[in-house]
Order: sequence, then structure tokens, then C-alpha cells
Amino acid sequence: MSRIEHEKEIKSRVSRRSFLKGCAMAAAALGLSDELVPKLAEAAASPKRPPVVWLHFQECTGCTEGLLRASHPDIATLILDIISLDYHETVMAAAGHQAEEILSSTIDKYSGKFICVAEGAVPTKDGGIYCKIGGRTALEIIKDVAPKAAAVISIGTCASFGGVQAASPNPTGAKGIGDVLGKQVINIPGCPPNPIAFLGTVLHLLTFKRPPELDSLGRPLFAYGRRNHDQCERRAHFDEGRFVEQFGDANHKKGYCLYKVGCKGPVTYANCPAVRFNDVSIWPVGAGHGCIGCTEPNFWDTCSPFYERLPGVKLPGAGVVTDADSAGKKILGIAAAAAGIHAAVGIGKRLVKGNQEEGK
Amino acid sequence: MYEKRLAWSVLFRLFHWAFALSIMVLVATGLYIHYPWSNSVIEGSRSFVVAKVRYVHFVAGFVFISALLVRLYLWFFGNRQEKLWDSAPVTPANIKNLFSTIGYYLYLTDRHEQRLGHNVLAGTVYILTILFGFCQVMSGLWMLYPESPFWGSWGVSLLGSQAQARFVHYLIMWYFSIFVFIHLYIVIWNDVKDPEGLISSIFTGRKFFHKDTIS
Repeated sequence: MSRIEHEKEIKSRVSRRSFLKGCAMAAAALGLSDELVPKLAEAAASPKRPPVVWLHFQECTGCTEGLLRASHPDIATLILDIISLDYHETVMAAAGHQAEEILSSTIDKYSGKFICVAEGAVPTKDGGIYCKIGGRTALEIIKDVAPKAAAVISIGTCASFGGVQAASPNPTGAKGIGDVLGKQVINIPGCPPNPIAFLGTVLHLLTFKRPPELDSLGRPLFAYGRRNHDQCERRAHFDEGRFVEQFGDANHKKGYCLYKVGCKGPVTYANCPAVRFNDVSIWPVGAGHGCIGCTEPNFWDTCSPFYERLPGVKLPGAGVVTDADSAGKKILGIAAAAAGIHAAVGIGKRLVKGNQEEGK
Repeated sequence: MYEKRLAWSVLFRLFHWAFALSIMVLVATGLYIHYPWSNSVIEGSRSFVVAKVRYVHFVAGFVFISALLVRLYLWFFGNRQEKLWDSAPVTPANIKNLFSTIGYYLYLTDRHEQRLGHNVLAGTVYILTILFGFCQVMSGLWMLYPESPFWGSWGVSLLGSQAQARFVHYLIMWYFSIFVFIHLYIVIWNDVKDPEGLISSIFTGRKFFHKDTIS
């Protein structure tokens, strides 16, 4: 399908009204004045807007599915249409050599102008042989495409920080896109990330020709600047000391705080409580399940077990030995036992030798 | 006969008690924040228990930070006993004292070298404790100011994520709990074994020396 025909398709599918609605939502998420909505709309509708090459590596396509299956179809359509997708393995019509040709012609034709969106981690062990597309390894593809792109966006936790593939023991040496390229890219982590965070970032890039302000992990601050815990609707229950003790108990039914059943909201930067998912005001804590920290680097290792407060204590060579609580108690017990034995030895020695003080 | 000699300055004693009391409050409130065992069923802000305990934890945390800064100052500008190198295993005499103290504590020798300041084993552990204290402050301040770019960039480069910060903060809490226990045992043991007024010295600043051992 040529580009012009593609434009016609957009016009038939997205009404002007829903298009502006999407732009307004993105502007709100970005914290921009509504006066800038026409600017965003203009940039998004411009025929000169840069094409997007969407690469898939070690991933489950959940991020793309998260966008496509949004219950509010306008957002998904808007995202897929405004960004002028020239290459996206899940949704493009082309296949095989045809598809690979589109990739190489797009990156040549729009060199330095297109936006590269990467979904999934890149395996680096054994020359990267654990993920191959069209005969090339993921490592070769990203190193070929990314340097020619105007901007690189990692969508999802896998592309941002390695995700589940990079969880210990990381058998394929999986890494996030930024680590593979050795430079800062825009990270939109989450499993899946919020479509609004992605849409806002893309519209910011199109409108202002630069990425939004990022934190030290490359996440846009407008979406990842605050912890879930600090904007959670159940926060009052935390402060006032009302907790779910186990799933399904009376406190759970009353909607109390999920902190004691392992909610990772206090350590997770995201905008889930504010923006929510699927446009039906839903997110994990709202549905009665703790946050698992999916926007954080290495959350599979540092935020699991998901239903406990803290991860287990690992000893080198022995793996996970025990949870942090009982580790501390055991060491304290050993110290107490040692002190007891020490005192007993002292008393015993004094009994055997007699009290030397008396002789002084 | 005994001679009374000044070991610890007023500032040092203030540091010790601010440090000791803040650690006790921090461990107690920290354990509560980790596992809020009381589960209120009172609705509304009449029950504000976790927020209040967190507030006490933060106030005690700032007392702890102040105490740490005072100790850092005394490392370099305190009296002879309070200086960093007086009880650090950096000179041959100090290294000798480190091993003789270990021997003394293991009942291998009865010879006790009387020192006006810390023995070197204690001094080494205290240096480690101050360093752990700084780790605690770094992780704690990042959790207190999660949106600060300053603490955030430090926290990410040192610890990676808030989840790691919380984990490390919790493990070091156990270090402090175990340290307090062993510290109390050892000072009582020392006071029983060799009465030089070790315990009262942290109140009065004075230690008692056998006249015949004063060099």
C-alpha cells in the first residue's frame, strides 16, 4: 500500500472529532495547555511527519496488543495512524522478503528522519543467535537501524531494561535497547506500558522535535515522574493503617491497602493510578491486585516474590536462601547464642581459675 | 589505686546518645513500617497510625543524620581518642592491638592493653558502622524524596531502583540491630572483666586507669 492510499485509509477510519480527542488526552498527560492541542494535531496530521519503523525482538507482542486491544478504539487507531507505520511485523500486510525490503528502503529513504520504535530485548550472548529475523540477528538489526533514526523509543520493559528475558540467570544475555546501543534512548517501560505514555511521547517528538524531559533511566517524567503509591486511590488506607491481610478476606472486600500482600506501588514510578488502562478506569490496584513494579528495571528479580514485601536474600553459589526477615532473625539468633556461649566460657573459666581480682 | 582521666568530649557523648536513641527509634518504627502489624478498622482519619509512625521515623532519621555528621566532624577535629586514625587499623601498633583484642575477647590471653580511646577492634567496627550509616542515609533520603532529581540520580546509580533501595535499607537495619546487641554485650563483658568504668565513661566522659599501668 502506498503512502497516499494509507492516508486515505486514516481519513476513513478516524473522525476529526476522535482525532482531536486523542490529541487532547495526550496534551493533558503531557501537562500541556489546551492551546497547544491544535499544534499537536497539526504535527500529527502533517503529511511530512516522519515514518516509523517498529522492530520486534525478544518479546510477547503484548505491548502492541496492549495498544491494539485498547477498549477505546480511537486511541489505538490514532497511535497506529498518526505515526505512519512503514514497518511493523504484527500489523503490516507485507511478508517475507517484501517486508525486509520495506525496512531497508525506509531506513535509506528517510535516513536521519524516521522514528525507530523497538519492542523487546536484544540477546547478546553467543553473538546474539537467540533472536533472528530474516536471517539477521536482533543485534545486527538494531545496530543497523538505530543509528540512522532521528529518535529511538523503547516500548515496554523488555526493550527498556531487558524484561523477563534478562531476569536471573538471563540465559541469552538479553539487554535493553539503550544498553545494547550504549546511549540514552527514550524508555516507555511497563508490561504493557500505558498507550497514553507512548502517544504523548510521540506527539511531543512530532510537535517539538525533541523528546520530553526524561529521568535518569530515560523514562519521560510526565508519565514516570511519580510513584504509584503517592497517587494511589487506596493511599488513605495505608496512612490510616487499614490493610488487606490476605486475598479474599473482609478487608480485601472493603478495598483496603494491598501493601501487606506485596504491592510494589511504593517503589514503582508510573502514572497508572492517574491515567489507568483501557479507558475504563481500571488498573491492577483498582481491581484488587497489588502493583508488581513492571515499569522498574529488573523488576522480575527485585520486585519478586510479587506477594511479599521484599525479595529473598541470595547467597553467592547457594541461590535464594531465605527471605530477608528470617535471615535477619537467624543472624540475630546466632549472635545471641554466640554471646551466651562466650559469657558461659568466661564464667566457666573464672570458676576453674578462681577470681583473680581478689589477689590484686 | 585508680586515676580518673577524660576520654570523651561533651560533643562525642552527645553524638553517642543521639545515635543510640535514633537507632532504637528507627529500628522500632522501621520494623513497623515494614510490617504494620496493627490493623485498624477505624475508618477516617481518626486513625492515622502509619502516617504518624512514618513521621517519627523521618524525624529520628534526621537526628541520625545529624549524629553521623557530628561523628564525621570528630573524626578529623575531635580530641585524640575521637580521631579516625586513633582506632583505625592503620599503624603497626594499632594492628597489633586489633589482634591482641581479638585474642583477649576469645579468652586466649588475659593481657588487656588499657587504652583511653576505643580498642582497635571496636574502632574498626565503628568505622564500618558509620559507613553503613551513610548507606542507610543515601537509600533513606531517596525513599523520602522520591521525586528529587538529586537523590534520584544518586539512588539509581548506586542502587538501581527503589525496590533495591528498600531491600538494602532493610538489610542494613538488621546490621544495626545485631550491632546494638553485640555492642551492649561487649561493653558489659568488658566492664565485668576489667573495671575501668567503660559504661559510665559514655555518661561522664571519664575512664579509670590502674595507677601502675599508666604509661
